[in-house]
Amino acid sequence: MSEKTNEKKFTGENILEIKDLVVHYETDDGCVQAVNGLSFSIGRERTLGLVGETGAGKTTTALSILNLVPSPPGVIKSGSIVLDGEDVLQMSEKELEQMRGNDVAMIFQDPMTALNPVITVGEQIAESIMLHEHVSQKEAMERAKEMLKLVGIAESRAYEYPHQFSGGMKQRVVIAIALTCQPNLLIADEPTTALDVTIQAQVLDLMQDLIRRNHMSMLLITHDLGVVAEVCNDVAVMYAGRIVEIGSTDEVFNATAHPYTEGLFGSLPNLKDQGEELEPIRGMMPDPMHLPEGCAFAPRCPYATEACSASVPYLRPMGGTHFVACHAYDRENFRLRRNQNG
Amino acid sequence: MIRYVLKRIVLMIPTILITSLLIYWAMDLAGGDPVMTILPENATVEQQEALREEMGLNDPFLVRYLRYMGGLVTGDMGESYVTDRDVFLTFMERLPNTLLLGGSALIIACIIAIPLGIWTALNQNTWKDTGGMVFALFGVSMPNFWLGLMFILLFSIQWQLLPSGGTGGIEYLIMPAATVGLGLAALITRTTRSAMLDVVRQDYITTAKAKGAPRKRVIYYHAMKNAMIPIVTAVGMQFSLVMTGSALAETVFSWPGIGRLVFESIAARDIPMVTGSIILCCVLMSIINLAVDLLYAFCDPRIKAQYSNKG
Repeated sequence: MSEKTNEKKFTGENILEIKDLVVHYETDDGCVQAVNGLSFSIGRERTLGLVGETGAGKTTTALSILNLVPSPPGVIKSGSIVLDGEDVLQMSEKELEQMRGNDVAMIFQDPMTALNPVITVGEQIAESIMLHEHVSQKEAMERAKEMLKLVGIAESRAYEYPHQFSGGMKQRVVIAIALTCQPNLLIADEPTTALDVTIQAQVLDLMQDLIRRNHMSMLLITHDLGVVAEVCNDVAVMYAGRIVEIGSTDEVFNATAHPYTEGLFGSLPNLKDQGEELEPIRGMMPDPMHLPEGCAFAPRCPYATEACSASVPYLRPMGGTHFVACHAYDRENFRLRRNQNG
Repeated sequence: MIRYVLKRIVLMIPTILITSLLIYWAMDLAGGDPVMTILPENATVEQQEALREEMGLNDPFLVRYLRYMGGLVTGDMGESYVTDRDVFLTFMERLPNTLLLGGSALIIACIIAIPLGIWTALNQNTWKDTGGMVFALFGVSMPNFWLGLMFILLFSIQWQLLPSGGTGGIEYLIMPAATVGLGLAALITRTTRSAMLDVVRQDYITTAKAKGAPRKRVIYYHAMKNAMIPIVTAVGMQFSLVMTGSALAETVFSWPGIGRLVFESIAARDIPMVTGSIILCCVLMSIINLAVDLLYAFCDPRIKAQYSNKG
């Protein structure tokens, strides 16, 4: 692969800065408040894990970065998504097309459906190249074959169709499509969820390796805290369209500050404490059409007080890069149970 | 792939055998005495009986059927009671006219329907979509013969722009083809619309957009390539509609095709002509179905792979 000349216009500290993003889906039945004032940033060559339950707004956030929220019914209400110094939400259609795939690429959750069934995989990879670089079809195909080899698939299979590949191989093809133009930011939306456990580790290793080699940043969306621990530098925990806790992986794992994050860890089976009962978070995710007043997690939170429903908690610093959005810290000496005997 | 085609062609034989038996049986049940048609009205009972014996009409059903099939194998499908002309040759003479009409209708239908289907799908739930669907509903609901008569009233009688019937230059083809084509267009519009609506929601469309593919490329390349599969299926399945639609349009516009041939033969109780034409229509439909299946494989690599595996 030819090394892309990295002459990006802007060389700030962060590749991506999202501020106060609000995304709603306006349907006939009501307004689904998917993302409600979300802010986070990703540093250069860092990997941020975005963790949360299904329906927390993770995928909507990811699609917003590419300005691909399905519309209608999706509407990006407000906020800014600054990518390498440029606001994605202000870009023209033309600029967006240039940005997608070239500056930011995305890996989707389900490799079974992410590839076009009637186009050969080689052609699907080559298309990315041809959309962004002025190369001949033949040259693009050669590069596509190289990409296939890079993700561990024989070049000769470039002329085959997606149905001839297994799930893990398809995800490798999806990764090849995403990385072929060497984007600066890779968004991976639960890239291993649909794969067999044995294949998951392979795919993660491959992604990590390629990201390091190309000096890329990554937004890894997952609900698997094990994956986060292994892959991510930073973690953002998302609940009902907001970040409730964000910090380095070390901070969030070892000094967990938000009751929801504590709940997530509590629901993980642990080999060391076999026999101990899992503690699932009680209750259900609130209906995004009717979010509760104040902190959205309050109805499920074991520490909640009346104050929690009064106002939405802001992200408060917990030292270092660690921030948490929780009213409980207004109380003096508040500590989560998880941290009390440590 | 070639083996698959050969297999399909061999499989056509039992299909034709069964349909021919059914048709021959149905024509037998329909009754009617060809002798009365052939002989002059004042023929004596003895003359009638003699002719029946001569034509083998007194033999049992199976004997007559086997004799007929024996002829069919050698291409001899008998002669018309009315014109004394060879059934097979008469059919073949009329076939190009019907193929021309059906083909033109299909082309007109696709030219109108596929863009309209895409357009309505992309403007789903707007007035454009509603307008397109009203047109489609109109097209589906209009009986062919009524539409044909309205065309004649308007274009031939009122404005005297087009000839009301017969054959000749392209001006004779326009109205019958449009009559058959509009009904067909309605169906294809609906299929295209629903196929597009389904396809544009698929994940691989998001993948294509995320690659940075422009909207036009996403729709006409990524989406259309997939939407073509249900569209080809629908057109293939509706091809019988082209044939029946043509039969009606041919009658209304005095277009000398197969539909009109069958219609006239039925009216004249010309049993060999009717039986032969319908059996040949079955053969024709089998061939068209095979062609559609092959086209289908051409559109969808998954099906092509299946065919190759099965040999």
